[in-house]
Amino acid sequence: MTELVEEFYDEPTDYVEDEALGQIVEAMWASYFAHTEFLLPSYEQHDIEGDILAASVTISGAKPGIVTVSVERPLAVPLAAALLQEDGELEDEDVYDSLGEVANIVGGNIKALVPDAGSLGLPVVSTAKPLHGASDRLAARLDANWQGQWLTFEVWLAGGSENGQG
Amino acid sequence: MRALVVDDSRAMRKIIAGALRKLGYETVEAADGAEALKVLEAGPLPDLATVDWNMPVMDGLTFVTQVRANREYRALTLMMVTTEAEHGQIVRALAAGAHEYLIKPFTVESLEEKLSLLGLLPEGAQA
Repeated sequence: MTELVEEFYDEPTDYVEDEALGQIVEAMWASYFAHTEFLLPSYEQHDIEGDILAASVTISGAKPGIVTVSVERPLAVPLAAALLQEDGELEDEDVYDSLGEVANIVGGNIKALVPDAGSLGLPVVSTAKPLHGASDRLAARLDANWQGQWLTFEVWLAGGSENGQG
Repeated sequence: MRALVVDDSRAMRKIIAGALRKLGYETVEAADGAEALKVLEAGPLPDLATVDWNMPVMDGLTFVTQVRANREYRALTLMMVTTEAEHGQIVRALAAGAHEYLIKPFTVESLEEKLSLLGLLPEGAQA
């Protein structure tokens, strides 16, 4: 178990946990990617380095947070092609939009788990993971393998107190 | 039958419009509520509009409210198709005038079921 995972399990868990995140991702895969290779969740972390594409959505309200999905950039293309069920060459806009929609779907369903959640932001796609405040807390993480490459889903809750309210 | 697909995501518009076309719908797309209102103004009036909630310019709930405020659009059936999964959001959308609510992720089968409940499956389509 890595240091980060140990840290996470030492934290008080609330509302959003790995299992819930896993169920949401699984439901999304069953709905939109069932015609592709299985998504294989991992108990170990596989940090994505190098050429990253990350999509994120923010959750506002009493328990603000951010939900991200990160992939190695080359994986974003087959991911978009699978979502759109298209074999031809995709425009960059389709690739970014598809990853953003994946984050949007996960984020919306995560928001439903958070008490007194406010609104869901629009997806933002970038070539780097979003920065987090020092007191922000990783509430849930899922590392999964698809087509031999790794995807990481994360839910960060804003810090500020022990229960994460900020 | 004719459907208007309102979603700021190109990917989701393709997915929903593709599923509707397989069922026999003609589809037209809009990237936000304001663009969708222009489609309605231009006519002809669709039988169905699938509406995302979170969109720039004009969100889905505002679009539903504006459509319901216009008597000329009363024949239009509105289905929210959104990631907004909380019970409170569903209640808000239905209170504003949406007829049905489908949470993303959804399967094509669940979309067909909703259309069947609404009596909007084109002739020959299977629920």
